[in-house]
Amino acid sequence: MNRILLIEDDTETAEAIVAELTDRGFEVQWAGDGVDGLDRARRSSPDAMIVDRMLPKMDGLTVIEALRKDQFRTPVLVLSALGAVDDRVRGLRMGGDDYLTKPFAIIELVARIEALLRRPTDDRKTILHSGPLELDLIERTARRGDRELDLLPREFRLLEYMMRRNDQLLTRAMLLEEVWNYKFVPATTNLIDVHMGRLRHKVDGPGEVQLIHNVRGSGFVLRSRQ
Amino acid sequence: MHQVRLIRSSTFLWALAVAAAFALFVVALFTFVYWKLDDYLIARSDRMITTQIHFIADLPPARRISAIADHLEQDSRGVQYAGLFDAAGIRLAGNIDHLPRELGLGGAVQGVRLDLKGRPAVQVPVVRAIGRRLDGGDVLVMGRNVDETREISSVVGEALALGLLPAFSLCLVAGAWLSARAQKRVEEVNQRVQRIVAGELRERLPEGGTDDPFARLAAIVNGMLDEMETMINALAGVGNDIAHDLRTPLTRVRLALERGRTHAATLEELQDITDKAMAGIDQSLAIVTALLRLTEIENNRRMAGFGEVALDEILREVCDVYEPIAEDKLIGLGVVIARNVQVWGDRDLLFEAVANLVDNAVKFTPSGGRVELALEAEDDTALVRVRDTGPGISEQEREAVLRRFYRSDTMRNTPGVGLGLSLVAAIVKLHGFRLIIGPAPGGQIEILARIGRTGRAVTRRSRTLVHADSD
Repeated sequence: MNRILLIEDDTETAEAIVAELTDRGFEVQWAGDGVDGLDRARRSSPDAMIVDRMLPKMDGLTVIEALRKDQFRTPVLVLSALGAVDDRVRGLRMGGDDYLTKPFAIIELVARIEALLRRPTDDRKTILHSGPLELDLIERTARRGDRELDLLPREFRLLEYMMRRNDQLLTRAMLLEEVWNYKFVPATTNLIDVHMGRLRHKVDGPGEVQLIHNVRGSGFVLRSRQ
Repeated sequence: MHQVRLIRSSTFLWALAVAAAFALFVVALFTFVYWKLDDYLIARSDRMITTQIHFIADLPPARRISAIADHLEQDSRGVQYAGLFDAAGIRLAGNIDHLPRELGLGGAVQGVRLDLKGRPAVQVPVVRAIGRRLDGGDVLVMGRNVDETREISSVVGEALALGLLPAFSLCLVAGAWLSARAQKRVEEVNQRVQRIVAGELRERLPEGGTDDPFARLAAIVNGMLDEMETMINALAGVGNDIAHDLRTPLTRVRLALERGRTHAATLEELQDITDKAMAGIDQSLAIVTALLRLTEIENNRRMAGFGEVALDEILREVCDVYEPIAEDKLIGLGVVIARNVQVWGDRDLLFEAVANLVDNAVKFTPSGGRVELALEAEDDTALVRVRDTGPGISEQEREAVLRRFYRSDTMRNTPGVGLGLSLVAAIVKLHGFRLIIGPAPGGQIEILARIGRTGRAVTRRSRTLVHADSD
């Protein structure tokens, strides 16, 4: 069971996060201020941490910095009401591994925590496998079983990203940030859906088992294990 | 009270000081003139009596008495004095009663009191006189009354005094008038400023028809007030727009939740309602996020991320992102790159600007149309052009489309929050580039950028938005 430490001063927000993560099988500890959070992190060595930026007694970034100085490698998701790009960059520079702007969807938080806990498969591999899918990163070719998939460069990158995170929920925001390198919310909100629709059309042929699934209201998942 | 304020006013006090200085100057001038005049007339008298004494002394003794008599006879004003005395001091001729004791006989002119023959002692005048002992022991005295000098001086003095009084009074009157005028203007400005502070933004300071410093200052302040009024109105407008644009999705949320609470019978129905409510909240958040981004960009807080940016790469990437969306709408999307171009800027922001333009073009171009991206370069200027076969932006709307939340009637039913072009304009402005909106029909928007690391502005004082047909 993964142990998660949440450092958040707003009780209602904390309760909602704790309840959701507990429902999903995580063991969650909660600290209401920076000093207590740092103390708990040092004593219990959690598997992942969720840290709010603005905390009483000691702000979130200082907590992360102190932990990184102590050689704590625990992945950290930073929560913040400061949504400006510069704030985000600063949060990641200070040792955060991912950054989520308030207000957020709880499903987005869960997806990101899971992504942090399940690091992508060894990225030194040159050929990736996910069920019937095979991706040759050197030759830039993709296959499903015996069938070769004719993918555009962007589709190739999207499929690679999904195969490295098999069975993980990937939210639209995560895909925008990681595959499209978008630092802003595009005007056309169905951008990801259109691209994903085209990729799915190529990957899941007629009569074949569906691999790419749309999770209602949340995002997409590549399920290679049926 | 008003009079006290007037007298204490700096303008009046200055006028008083100037009048006093003027009076002092006039008095000093008069003293100087009097002194010079007195000096000149006495020297002239001295020269005259010296000449006369030499003339009479050089005559034969027998002629001297008649010469003195003639000399005195010709003096109609009674200012000439002469006396001839023997060695014992007995008067032989002339109108001087006796030889003054203090008169030296060495031939030097000096001021002495002369007792005149037939005049009472109280009327003994002080005169300039010269005495000389002649051959044979006689003493000759010649004199001249210089009181007329003082008369002239007193006349001049009176004239000056008479002139000085009106001049001094005039100075005071002018000071009082200027002071009253200035006070009146200041009072008027005070009243108007108080009205402005109270919220009357249309109030302006009185400029008058003159070209004095006061009027020029008022003109500058009025210019500033014009600018502030425009900004405050724009802000007020934005506030209303925000309120209006947030109310719409929030109303949808409320209605959806209300209906769900009353009518949802199954879990699925409740989930549908919740989805609708969440979409409304997401829309509201998108508005807030876009506004925050706009503020962030407009506050020039993004200069830190500047570096060399390949515009051609950005265009290709945007085209790559939007190709499937265009294809879905049966719109042809093409990119033409004349040559690779590097500009100085923030890559993410420039990507966002071009993406927004392409997004709009794809959104408003009807099915079967075409959207074209082009990158042209000439000398040190690059031109990014996004052209489409949609309706374009009419001339009346060119300025309006850059306003926050502006959505034309034709756009009412398209998705979006009406901040896309405002963001583009803010990004273009931050980079010192120019945005050129082309004439309808057919959409055409261009970004004119300076190639390489030249820092700011295609033209330093150019406006960000330029109408294509205005050049």
